[in-house]
Amino acid sequence: MPAFDIPFFGTLILCLILVSASYTMAVAMGAGSGRPHLLPSARWGTYATCAFLLVAVCVLAYAFQVHDFRIRYVARYSDRSMPWWYLIASLWGGQDGSLLWWAFLLGGYTFFVTRWLRGRYTELQPWILATLMSIVIFFVVLMLFSANPFATYIRTTPGDGEGLNPLLQNYWMAIHPPSLYLGFVGWSVPFAILIAALVTGRLGNEWVRAARLWSMIAWTFLSLGLLLGCLWSYEELGWGGYWAWDPVENASFLPWLVGTAYLHSVLIQERRNMMKVWNVFLLALTFVMTIFGTFLTRSGLIASVHSFARSDIGQYFVWYLGFLIIGIALLMIWRLPKLKADNEIESLVSREFAFLLNNWVLLGMMVFVLIATTFPLLSEWLRGEEVTVGPGFYNKWIVPLGIVLLFLAGLGPLVAWRKATGSNLARAMMFPLGVGLAVAVLQFLFGARVGFPPIVEPTEIYDTMTGTILAWTAAVAPVVSFATCGFVLASVGQEFMRGVSVRMKKGEGAFTALVRLVSKGRRRYGGYIVHVGVVFMFIGFTGAAYDVEQESALRPGETMSIGSHTVRYDQPRMEADPNKRMIYTDMTILDEAGKPKGEVAPAKFIYRTHPQMPTTEVAIRSRPAEDVYVIMSTVDPSTRRGTFRVIIRPLVAWIWFGGIVLLLGAILSMWPTARELVREREAAPRRVRFSPATAVVALAIAVATMLAWVGVASAQDDSSSSLHAGSVVINDPVERQLFGRLLCQCGDCARLPLDTCACGWADERRSEIRELLAAGQDPNGIQESYRAEFGAKALAIPSDKGLDRALWAVPIAAMVLAVGFVILVGRRWQRRGEQLHEIKTAATAGAPSELGYESRLDEELKRFDEDT
Amino acid sequence: MSDVLPWMFIIVAGAAMLVALGSLWLSLSLGLSDEALGDVRAQLTSDARQALLTEKDALLQELRDIAFEHDAGKLSDQDFEELNKKLRAQARHVLHELDEAAEAFRDEAEALIAKRLGDSEEDA
Repeated sequence: MPAFDIPFFGTLILCLILVSASYTMAVAMGAGSGRPHLLPSARWGTYATCAFLLVAVCVLAYAFQVHDFRIRYVARYSDRSMPWWYLIASLWGGQDGSLLWWAFLLGGYTFFVTRWLRGRYTELQPWILATLMSIVIFFVVLMLFSANPFATYIRTTPGDGEGLNPLLQNYWMAIHPPSLYLGFVGWSVPFAILIAALVTGRLGNEWVRAARLWSMIAWTFLSLGLLLGCLWSYEELGWGGYWAWDPVENASFLPWLVGTAYLHSVLIQERRNMMKVWNVFLLALTFVMTIFGTFLTRSGLIASVHSFARSDIGQYFVWYLGFLIIGIALLMIWRLPKLKADNEIESLVSREFAFLLNNWVLLGMMVFVLIATTFPLLSEWLRGEEVTVGPGFYNKWIVPLGIVLLFLAGLGPLVAWRKATGSNLARAMMFPLGVGLAVAVLQFLFGARVGFPPIVEPTEIYDTMTGTILAWTAAVAPVVSFATCGFVLASVGQEFMRGVSVRMKKGEGAFTALVRLVSKGRRRYGGYIVHVGVVFMFIGFTGAAYDVEQESALRPGETMSIGSHTVRYDQPRMEADPNKRMIYTDMTILDEAGKPKGEVAPAKFIYRTHPQMPTTEVAIRSRPAEDVYVIMSTVDPSTRRGTFRVIIRPLVAWIWFGGIVLLLGAILSMWPTARELVREREAAPRRVRFSPATAVVALAIAVATMLAWVGVASAQDDSSSSLHAGSVVINDPVERQLFGRLLCQCGDCARLPLDTCACGWADERRSEIRELLAAGQDPNGIQESYRAEFGAKALAIPSDKGLDRALWAVPIAAMVLAVGFVILVGRRWQRRGEQLHEIKTAATAGAPSELGYESRLDEELKRFDEDT
Repeated sequence: MSDVLPWMFIIVAGAAMLVALGSLWLSLSLGLSDEALGDVRAQLTSDARQALLTEKDALLQELRDIAFEHDAGKLSDQDFEELNKKLRAQARHVLHELDEAAEAFRDEAEALIAKRLGDSEEDA
């Protein structure tokens, strides 16, 4: 252990960050309030704060590497046997360190933004820096007063640490949290730009352009983080799924939904100078949601498989959220006169209105997820009853909304800005609609033969009319989803074809026309590629309707059949490293003729520091058509008999492929033009430049590195861990429906329903329930007895009566009201728009002095076309 | 790697500490003097020009977009004419403003040239 007092030094650095950030904030505010000479001072203060943050992270990383167990955080999240890369990942493995990591990433963003701001947005700059510093201050106060990563033990220092949770000892831990944090933290920058615009009153398109690149970077990292989160869940948690609607997952999904709404809505402002208040609201809400999400994760108020221990930092977040909401509301009210739109919607059949509908669905989904996530808390506060809202609820309600959103992704590009004529729109929609219908017809004709029937068996989450409607909606969802995917792909394809044919008319060859089309409209066609990525992801999501699973106990040499596969258990084998013992079971996947077509080796790992927590390492054989997902539940060392659960998950690989396409589309849409690069060179001719190009190239490299890492890591080790060591057997649809409604109550498997949970307690309970069903008991009666025995929180989905009904009734009512409001306002705008349009047409003649610029404008346009 | 890594963290932390203290010192010294005022004023002027150039690029992009949408049959002739007229008027206005902004520097530039020429003549 080093003689140097690292804990004291670390805390001292945190204090220095607080002092430096507070000083910089004060100086920046001074620069923004009539003392412009203070601006360079504020910029250097910002650099100082960022550098101090780097020092703090390096000190903690050093403490991990030298095993300084005087520091409580180091002792709790590492031990002497851990390799160096897990010691680095431990930096963000626990609450205190992850807050420092968050602040450090914010420091990184702040450094790059400050570089980028040099020579531009001088009026906005002081307030951007002040806002970013205020966020740093919040996180440092949090660390100093509630979650200090350098805090020491009061009494003795342990000889060794407790070690990182085995579930976190994998490559996902190294890449998923940083990318998600980069997404969360990234929204601070556009938010800071927005606050600067509100404070200075510069609310034209200046701030929108300034925030464009940074919002895209944040959105891309957030999307990447969510995607990697799905992969982690799929490979790590070992329950066979990729998204469990856990509160922590929802916490990162909420800002993504609002951020996506903003990215669409802001296009209307850029194009038509409309929706200014709405865009301010959406961007502010996105940032608030990132803080709210962090609050959900950190406070431990809501049961989650990922959340950190319950702590008192929640109250800091509540105060900060309150301060943010009130502050933003006051600023918006103050600036309302400057947020007046220059134009109005001229037709309800227009791109603008399609974007409004897109916002309506995205925010509707956000309200659904938000209410469902916080409902357990609300229920406890309002009526003192704990409830749980399980994945079944979300899946039933969100899937239809998701399909509507997907449809709009295909419809939007077909509708013209301002006003689409009926005949134009009908002509544009003919081909995509035809493709969508053809997909549906083909599925009805051949789907069942190839394992994809158009309609699946309905399962009800409620025994009410609502339950029946939802069940049938979910039953027809596969065919509707595939047809909508066809519609969107055809719509995007048609847009590319149209563009290419327009260019070909000018004499370009097809390939040149395609390349030039995309390179001259990166943002538009990058956006379309993002839509294609979303379609591929939806294909993968829809595959979940066709999952098949089976559980069998086998001796070496015995086989089990599932779908078109036969899986043979070959032998168990044991390996060991300094950190753990590993028990593998080698298995071979055979085709229908009995020929081997792949090998898998599910395993159990027993870590030295956590022998009581053996982890189950799943093995996955992934192909475009389906994944074979194998879990070894138990293996008896003496008889070598093993119990295996095999799940066939069709089309899952399309989710990951779609994610990659989505990221590539996002990067393409941000890629700077040659003209922008020239402008950068002109702005900063001699010194080191930080341009949008640098940002986007860095982003592309980061994304590619992360994806490559995933590929390499997967190639090295295609298995991963889970703490669910038992087995799940489900015999019929009645059992599936009932088990899906009841949650495991063993105390360790929070939120896992009995149709998924593989712990011993759940297994015993399933056997008991199976006996009751065999004795002729009504499933509803069994459900009620379960509720009476364990309380309302033991049900995966609250009932469809009383206050519980608010869970879906409130979001639905909000959405209905919102759509009514949108249509009413749209009509009003339409009337005002027509009047405005008449006035503006009269005013566009231009001042006489500008009429001479006509030929110069043509030259500029020609040059612009050549440069970009 | 595990032997080298702690030293790497020490070196990076040390360097970052020096940068932090240096930046703080620079910040304080700049804050206490009015030296930077001229630079910031110049920056504000160049900022306004950059804003106009960005505005110009946005308008040119939009003009190109509507022409493309019109060619692709997504914008009717009437709508295209109206939008094109409006955007062209705005673009001309921005070009005019850019010229006016440059005009303000003309006198200054001419004075500087005259001074330079005068100095050269005196030297001769």
